[in-house]
Amino acid sequence: MSAENLVAKIESMKFEGLTFAHEGQDPILRNTDFEFPMNEVVWVKGVEGQGKSSLLQVLAGLLIPQSGFFYINDQNVLDMSFEEFLPYRLAIGYTFDYGGLISNRTVYDNLMLPLAYHKLVSLTDAAERVEEIIKIFDIQKYAHERPAHIPGRVRKLTCLLRALVMRPQMLLMDDPSVGLGQDTLYTFVDYIHRLREEGHLKHIFMSSYDEKYMSLFNYQIIHIDEGQIYLQTVEKDKKVVHL
Amino acid sequence: MANLWAQIDARVCLLGRAITRNIEYTLRVILMVYLALRAAVLDRAQGFRTIVSVISAQIYFTGWQALPLVSVLALTTGSVLVLQSMANLSLLGGTQMIGSFLIVMVIREAGPLLVALVVIARSGTAVASEIGNMRANREIEALESMGINPLSFIVFPRVLGGVISVLCLAFYFNVLALIGGFFLTKFLQDMPFSFYLDSLARGFAKEDVFIFVAKNGFSGMIIFVVSCYQGLSVKKSPHEVPQVTTQAVVNSVIYVTVFNLTVTALFYLNQLQTLGVV
Repeated sequence: MSAENLVAKIESMKFEGLTFAHEGQDPILRNTDFEFPMNEVVWVKGVEGQGKSSLLQVLAGLLIPQSGFFYINDQNVLDMSFEEFLPYRLAIGYTFDYGGLISNRTVYDNLMLPLAYHKLVSLTDAAERVEEIIKIFDIQKYAHERPAHIPGRVRKLTCLLRALVMRPQMLLMDDPSVGLGQDTLYTFVDYIHRLREEGHLKHIFMSSYDEKYMSLFNYQIIHIDEGQIYLQTVEKDKKVVHL
Repeated sequence: MANLWAQIDARVCLLGRAITRNIEYTLRVILMVYLALRAAVLDRAQGFRTIVSVISAQIYFTGWQALPLVSVLALTTGSVLVLQSMANLSLLGGTQMIGSFLIVMVIREAGPLLVALVVIARSGTAVASEIGNMRANREIEALESMGINPLSFIVFPRVLGGVISVLCLAFYFNVLALIGGFFLTKFLQDMPFSFYLDSLARGFAKEDVFIFVAKNGFSGMIIFVVSCYQGLSVKKSPHEVPQVTTQAVVNSVIYVTVFNLTVTALFYLNQLQTLGVV
């Protein structure tokens, strides 16, 4: 199988009667039906503890709902094994709100890991891509340090960039702006816009409390509230619509 | 009377729950072995080089770095057993039996158990705490999010590297205990080396190879599978890491000793059956 065939194309995403709860806690999603807007930058909003991070993790296939259906391209991915879901996973980039860097690998190796592992591009191309991104974000002096020896800002940035080096179709970001610093943040947003112009990152979903950061995007809003997801159109004259 | 019955009932319930919990734990561990093997076979992305580099690192930490400790343990155990067996067998007039006695004691019993205990103390704890910390630091989730199966990337190479290390360490232990122990006690005994070697050769049977591979191979597998399982059982918080590490040691010791006892019991039952005693 060629490298391109390993990555699936994501065209639609839909929950049907989906319920998810963390062990011993109240459900975050209760029998939820929702069709996600595609080809958009989507701002996932909700009050603290309503489950924005969990929703993003469900979308990334990192948390498995207890019941219901999660359709990607009309295929229920909840029935799939790790190997069957892999083509979708390779099309999805996920960034953590904290942690997530492999601690016994350097910043450079962390960025190289997904590219080198899946061999979606040649090692030379992968190295070029990683070196370019390191240069754009001016983190050359930390490139060969391990996560424990670098500032928190660079740790967070590396975690974000690791999802971007794969140039995924869908990007899921959990509180991406926290701890980045203003200059880095602007560079990061510019880089996302550049990748979108190049045809990558077609669908972006991110949770954030940072309105200033979000104002740098043309976004749609989805709310998560008491186990249901609602789409809010951005035009002021329209009310929140429950799908 | 009713109170007594209620107490007995409660005890039986507790016993039942403990048994069910242990059976469930064992089944979960076995399931993880199956899933790790399956993942390693099905993972087309994971290259041979990636697996070999993790396996060789595991062999270096578990096998190579444990050599000094295993050397001391092998020499002291070997010396004690050589001296004790010579003293007692001389009294009984059976010095020529020394080879058979030492083979049974070192290769079949003491070797597998002592090597397993060293590996549990050094590497089982290290693996459980390393994977536990990876879990708490969300590295396992990160691997999954990158499409890297933690069972083939983390568990499989550690278990394989661990099994190879334990087999090599056990072989080293046996040779050093039997030969080194003899020379270390040379100034306390006057047995000719050729007589000793001949006795060992006569005492060695093909069953010893089977017992060596079964006991050490499976002990290595038990230690690393249990340690990986415990490490992966960390939910989110770093405070769980010392707890799962302790649990990994406790469970590994129990499983390894029970397994060794079972193999020994089955082997001797088989011998008795061959002799027509049972």
